[in-house]
Order: sequence, then C-alpha cells, then structure tokens
Amino acid sequence: MIKHLKILEFALSSLWRRKFKNLGLIVVFSLIIFTLSSIVFLTYSFKREAVAVLKDAPELIVQRLSAGRHEMMPVEYMKKIKDIPGVGKIVPRLWGYYYDISTGGNYTVMALREGLQDKISLMEGSFVVGSGSCVVGRGVADARFLDIGSIMPLIGADGKVRRFRVAGIFTDESNLLTNDLVIIGEKDFREVFRIPQSIATDIVVQIYNPTEVDNIARKIKEALPDTRPITRREILRTYDTLFDWRSGMVLTMFLGAILAFVILAWDKATGLSAEERHEIAILKAIGWETSDVMELKFWEGFIISSLSFLTGLIGGYLHIYFFGASIFSPALKGWSVIFPEFRLVPYINIYQIAVLLFFTVIPYMAATIVPSWKAAITDPDVVMRG
Amino acid sequence: MILHPGIIALLVGSLIVLALLLYGSVLAVVILRRWDIKSSSEFQLGLERKTYLVSTIMSFVLGFEVLAIFLFIYTVDDLHRQFVGAMCATGSLNANPVGWYVLYVKMLLFFISSLWIGINYVDQRTEGFPLVRFKYGMLLLVAPLVLVDVYLQSRYFLGLTPDIITSCCGALFSKEGGGLSSSLSSLPVRPMRYIFFTVLGLYVLAGLISLKRQKGIFRGLMGIFSVIVFLISLASIISFVSLYFYEIPTHHCPFDILQGYYNYIGYPLYGALFSGTAFGLLTGFTEILKKLFPSLEKINRYQRKWTILSILFMVIFTLISLYPMLFSSFTLEGY
Amino acid sequence: MNRETVIRVENVSKCINRGRPNEVWPVRGVSLEIERAQCVVLKGPSGSGKTSLLSLIGCMSRPTEGRILLHGRDVAKLPERFLTEIRRNTFGFIFQQFNLIPGITVKENVMLPLYPTEMGLTEIKTRAERLMKKLRIYERRHFHVKGLSGGEQQRVAIARALINDPEIILADEPTAHLDTRLSVELIEILKGLKEEGKTLVIATHDPLVYEQGFVDRVVEMRDGRVI
Ligand SMILES: Nc1ncnc2c1ncn2[C@@H]1O[C@H](COP(=O)(O)OP(=O)(O)OP(=O)(O)O)[C@@H](O)[C@H]1O
Ligand SMILES: [Mg+2]
Repeated sequence: MIKHLKILEFALSSLWRRKFKNLGLIVVFSLIIFTLSSIVFLTYSFKREAVAVLKDAPELIVQRLSAGRHEMMPVEYMKKIKDIPGVGKIVPRLWGYYYDISTGGNYTVMALREGLQDKISLMEGSFVVGSGSCVVGRGVADARFLDIGSIMPLIGADGKVRRFRVAGIFTDESNLLTNDLVIIGEKDFREVFRIPQSIATDIVVQIYNPTEVDNIARKIKEALPDTRPITRREILRTYDTLFDWRSGMVLTMFLGAILAFVILAWDKATGLSAEERHEIAILKAIGWETSDVMELKFWEGFIISSLSFLTGLIGGYLHIYFFGASIFSPALKGWSVIFPEFRLVPYINIYQIAVLLFFTVIPYMAATIVPSWKAAITDPDVVMRG
Repeated sequence: MILHPGIIALLVGSLIVLALLLYGSVLAVVILRRWDIKSSSEFQLGLERKTYLVSTIMSFVLGFEVLAIFLFIYTVDDLHRQFVGAMCATGSLNANPVGWYVLYVKMLLFFISSLWIGINYVDQRTEGFPLVRFKYGMLLLVAPLVLVDVYLQSRYFLGLTPDIITSCCGALFSKEGGGLSSSLSSLPVRPMRYIFFTVLGLYVLAGLISLKRQKGIFRGLMGIFSVIVFLISLASIISFVSLYFYEIPTHHCPFDILQGYYNYIGYPLYGALFSGTAFGLLTGFTEILKKLFPSLEKINRYQRKWTILSILFMVIFTLISLYPMLFSSFTLEGY
Repeated sequence: MNRETVIRVENVSKCINRGRPNEVWPVRGVSLEIERAQCVVLKGPSGSGKTSLLSLIGCMSRPTEGRILLHGRDVAKLPERFLTEIRRNTFGFIFQQFNLIPGITVKENVMLPLYPTEMGLTEIKTRAERLMKKLRIYERRHFHVKGLSGGEQQRVAIARALINDPEIILADEPTAHLDTRLSVELIEILKGLKEEGKTLVIATHDPLVYEQGFVDRVVEMRDGRVI
C-alpha cells in the first residue's frame, strides 16, 4: 500500500519535472474531452428539456392528413372521437407558424384555449389574452425588444397589420417550447390567419386511463382513416432517438480525432527522450522491478488523464451552461433563428462521465500499455556499461 | 440499430479490449510453446519479460469489464424510453433478449479476469512460476469469451429497433408471469429471508473458521459457498432486498437501485457482493491449485488476506441489505 | 574471524547475442569465492570483463552457464523478479558514472531505491538523514544534484547505495572520475565500510585502490578469465 503511494509520489514529481514536455499532450487531450463533453452535455440537456416540456403535453393529439401532409381539421371530427369509450375531454387547438419579416424569425403562434393558462406558470405580467393582446416567449420578446405593454404587430393573411399589446412574457429561459411562442385570442387567431369557425389545427384528446392510450389511438385511426393520432410517448421517443442519434453521429465523426490523439499518445509514450531512458535505467539498476516501473508509467498516465479529463469536463460544463454553447451556436442556428438565446439548466450525471471516460481515457490507457512495458523492461545493467 | 453515445462507447471499448487480448493471446501461445524456466537463454528472459505485458493487459481487461458492466446497464436503462412498455433496464433487455446474455457474459468475464489476476499474483510470487502453463492456457479461454461478448453485444444493439413493444420489470418480475424471473420474485419473502441471511452467515462463519485453523477444506468450502452466496443474493435482491429500497411491495427490479433516485445504493451493494464473491472464489480456487502444484504451499498468507477481504465485503453487503429493513418504516409483512 | 563464504561463483560464463555474428563472451568460466567482510578487487585492462562479472555477482544479469551461490542459494536461474528482490536486500552498487537523477534533490536520490518497498516514508527518511550526515552531504540535502561537485555527487551515490543497509557493496571503477584528493577520500569511506563488516567487491585498475592495505585479495582478469 505504502509502496504504491510512494511510486505515485515519484510519478507526480517526475511529471512535474517534465511539465513542458507533457503540456502539449495535456492540452490536446483536454481539448478533445472539452469538445466531447460539450456535445454530451448539450444533447443531454436537450433531451431532458424535451422530457420536461412534454411531461405537460397532452397524452394524445389527433391531426388530419391529406396526401401525407398535415391538414386543417374539421371540428365535427370531434363528435366521432367523443363516442369512443374511455375518451375524456376533447379540445380543438389552433396554432401555426408566422414568419416575421423585420427580424427574420419564425414564431409559433397559438390560440388561447382552455387549460393553457395553468400549464404555463412561469411568466411575468399576466396571462390575460383578451382581444388585441398577446403573451410572448422570451426569444420573441428579445428579438423584437418587447416589454410588457409594448406593441407586437402581426401581418394577417389579408395583408393588414394587426397590433397586439404584450400582456405577459414567459420567463422560463430554458424552456425550448415557449421561446418562440406567441399566444393570442382565438378570435384574433382566426382573423389573422383567416380560418373559418368550423376548422381547427388539430385536436387534443384527454384519456382517463393512461394504459388505454395506444388502444384508443388505434380506434380513432379506424373511425377516421384520414387522421393521425400522435401519442405523447411517441413524441418523447422521437425526441430521444433524434438527440441520441445526433450525438451518436457527432461522436462517431469524432472517433477519427480520438484515433489521431491515441496515435499521438502512443508516439509520445514510445519516443522517450534519452534522459528519460537513462532515468528508467537508473531506477532499474538501483532496485526497481519491471512492474514497479510499469506502475510508475501507469500513474503518469493516470495523472495526465485525470488532469486533462477534469480540465476538459469543467471547460465543457462552463461552455454549455455558462457561455450558452457559444462555440457551437453557428451549428445550432439551423434549429431556429431565435435559438441562440437559450440557457440550459446545468445537469451532469455519472453516466455522462462514464461515456466520456470510455471515449477518451480508455483508448489513451490502452495506447500506452505497450510503450510503457517496452520502457520498463530495460536491462538493469545498462547503466554499468555507460 | 439505435445510434446512442453509450452504445458506441461500449462497442469501441470492447473492440479495444478485444484487440489487446488477441495480442496477449499471441504472446500466450508463444509462452506456452517455448517456456522453459530452467533455461537462462536470452529468449527465455524475453518471455519472462513478456509476462509483465500480459499481466498488465489482463489488469486492463478487468478494470474495463468492471466499468463496462455498469455502463452497459446504464446505457440499457437510458434506452428504455425508446421501447413501448419499458420502464427501466429490464424492459430494454427484454426488447432483444440477447441483452441478458450480454450481461451474463460480462459478469462471467469479470469473475474470470479477477480469478486470473489473483492466480497470476500468487504465481509471480512463487519461485519457479509453477502456474505459467495453467495461467496462459486459461488466458486462451478469456479471449474467445471477449469475442463472444463483442459479438453478442453488437447483435443486441443492432437488433434493437425503436417501437419494439416489450415487457418490463413489472411484468417480468411479477408474481403472475412465467419463467425463472417471475419465480424469483414470487419466492416467499419470509423463508427467502431466512435462507439469505443463513447462507451469508454460514459463509462468514466458514471464512472465520478457515482463518482460525489453517485447514484447506474450509477454504475450498468458501470457494463453492461464494458461488451459492452470489446466486442466492441475486435472487434475494430481486425477491425482497430491492423492495425495501423502493418501498413498493411489488417493484422487483434489480437495476433501479443503481439510479440516483435511490442514492446510487446499488453501486456499493453490487460492488460489495461482486468483490466478496470474487475473493471467495479465488480463495477456493487456489486451494485446488495448491493440491495440483505442491510448490504453491507458501501462498497461505495471500489466501488469508483474500479470506479477510471476502468476509469484509460480504459483511458490508449484508449491512447494506439489512439497513432499510431495520431503519425504514416500510414493511413486507403480509406480502 | 568468521570465514563464512558469502559469494561463490562456479564456472560462470556470460554470452551476449548468442548465435549471432556479434556474439561475445565477456566472462568465461570464472570461479571465485568471496568471504564475509572481505575486500576483493577485480583488476584488469579495459574490456577484460570486470564490469560484466560484477553485474553477474550483483544479480543484475543472469549467467549463461555456471552457478552463482549467494549464502549457498543458487541465484543463476532465478527470474528477474526474484533477482531484483535479492539485489534490493543484499547489494549496494557504486557505479562508474554516478548515475544520479538530475532533476530531483539529493535526499530524494538517496531515498529512491526504497520507494518500491513496503517501508514507511519516515523510516526511509531517518535512514537517509543518518547516511547523509555520515557522508557530509546533509547540508546539501535540498539541492538538486546537478549543482553538486564531483566529490559530493560521488558521496550521494554512496549514500544511495547504502540506504538499503546492504551486506555486500559492489563498486565499479569508483575512482575513475575523481582526482587524487577525492579518490583518497573515497578510499577512506570504503575502508570505513569494510570496518563496519561489509563485504566489498571493487572493480578497478587504479593502483591507488588495489594497493591499499585493507584489500584482502586482488583478482586479475583478462579476456573474461581470471588469471
Ligand atoms: N551488452 C553488451 N553488448 C556487447 N558487448 C558487450 C556487452 N557487455 C559487455 N560487452 C563486451 O564484453 C567485454 C567485457 O566488457 P566489460 O565492460 O565487462 O569490461 P571491463 O573490464 O569492465 O572494461 P572497462 O575497464 O573498460 O570498464 C567488452 O569487450 C565489451 O565490449
Ligand atoms: Mg567496466
């Protein structure tokens, strides 16, 4: 036990003596871990965010399809759904996208409906959406420099500009779904987008028994063949797959970088300087055993990896959660124009760390096994032969 | 196939280990064929030096397998949202039953590689290295096992498609279901509890006796007993130990206790059980080797150390299992 | 005086690069007996095999043929792991070059041989301090060895050789890099060690060493053989 501590101490001191030689390796290693941990943190947060948001989402949504595309839905469809046993309350939804020419942003505009108020609690101002007033997401407010009481103009389908007074702004900064949201009254919505009374965007179906969801979805599909029932589970799964797939893709692309690093590490471990070789030979001559020298090398690798791992991990954490993933933001812009404004809720767990370890430290350690063995089997009597 | 960071990490890691082990196996074959401890040729010296490389590779494999078991369970747990009906790791494993075999193979790899390292440890400290042939023969069995592991693991992950409808611990470990798993959970709690504590108690007792009187028979017993203790403990965790942590009388899941929600209590719990079993196995196994290789007579002091460690880990395991039974208001009486 | 044989070399040969065109036999058929607390000098021209024989006796390398008995135990065929252990417990080496590690302090250099043992750090430190005081380098203990004078470096190397309290001390050309004054100083140290009851084997062709009174025996070597 004491033996291992003493060898560890010597490893620390011998790394410290060669700090500049190892600095390059540590910097490259840290950078790789920084990038990978940023990716992992980002996708994980997206995933969690999606789960958190969808927790309040309706259990089942029914949309209408026409030629494979989403179509507006006649309100009378509701009657047929209502007849299916196990179905609770049915609410039609009105929502759509709005392209704002002046900011170049794409907003989600939604009509106020029953139950919307109590689901979204985090906001400043009030949730009174009468005629001529609206509630907007943080991203929209920032893009248009809106405050409570400011005016938010929307250009209608008829080309006329309609002005809405901002009654409230969502504050939940991390909420991906409210960021680009604009909520107006139902009457206003129908006017702006010129949608007749008999039509809704889709229908939210409440179901008494959650285990029945899939069953009821099937029955709706049978009764109304031109509809598509979407369950919350399905959306969640799609999000999960999407984010896993994205980070998986990126990580796979990174395997090349990791391989390059492993080769660098191998090369560093193989190409010992004459001074280092001499030092190992001295150790062998004064009574260090091959396995002791290998242990020394192991500790050196351990210290280098721990140091780089911590640096990279903390860097990645700060990058994602305190600097808003600023390095990645060009790549994320495609997601939505007003996206870069978001702040994610810091989140880290053992699993992320384990995955990162597998991608970085394990290949590194594996790459140094053979070189450190080669160094450790130096003949003990070489120092006697000058 | 689902492209998931954990899956890629596991596959990449396994491939690295496989490559190292294949290299180690090549060295092992050379050592097996050319080893001659009586020779003082430079070639023999080279072989002796190669043994250091092989033992380092095996230590790496062991360290990796320990991490890999947890990463595997964790990944599988993380995947459960992709499958209809899955609530935790059990559901994901059921989504493609090959997953269970992956888990078994990984456990087997853990025990075999720890056994190997223990045997290597005593051999390197015994003059003449009597176990060289045995060790490297054994090593040649590890490499195919890792190959099987890589194969099964790839098949499991490749065979996973989202939307599979699967059954989870609720169904698998329910008393109504069929098969081994549900019989495990429907094991009556009271007798099961007696068996669990009796077996653990007997094990510790056998260990203590073997410490007191240096009789080989008790060490051998410990080896056999450790396997029994391991299996009974796993059954008990499913049957009743886990329930006390969940405080739900019907939640028989061996994986959920690993989650943060339950304070990660599963890690020390399984960690102690696996370590205790590994040291017990090692004690028993080396006892058999001692009969076959008389020059190993001097390894008693190592076996002593292992026995103490094994007892210690088993006691920790028992205490962790016992804790919620004693200190939580939750009770299984009546179930 | 106790006439116990400590080292017995029986017909030992060492071959390097066997079977290849550059095959050499630095040591051929050497037999030798060394008794407790004796001082034996191996003398011979350059290339005669002194260093090679010393490294065989000191368990640094294994002989190709013959036996080496240390207190009656044959160590010739032991694996390196055991040789190292024997070396660590029995021998202290003083090399021709000082072979100190440049970047670390005198004290660390002295303590280094005991790092891979189970001995506690405090025990190692006490030993090191005692030796450094005895060899008059205690004031330099926190210096890096690079800045030391040749004589000081030599004394650090000796302190390092003695840290494991060895029974046998092997010295390879210990005066090669020293001027006369320092050589005399070194000889005094060696003499002191012999008086403490240590067995000394010194390879040298320096008359200053082998003409000393405390040398019990001079073994002459040529072409790997004892003559
Ligand atoms: N590893 C080796 N490879 C090649 N030749 C070697 C090796 N070791 C020793 N020799 C050869 O063996 C012979 C004896 O060498 P050794 O170093 O033992 O002589 P020495 O008496 O110590 O000489 P010196 O007084 O110069 O130190 C020399 O010819 C040397 O070249
Ligand atoms: Mg010489």
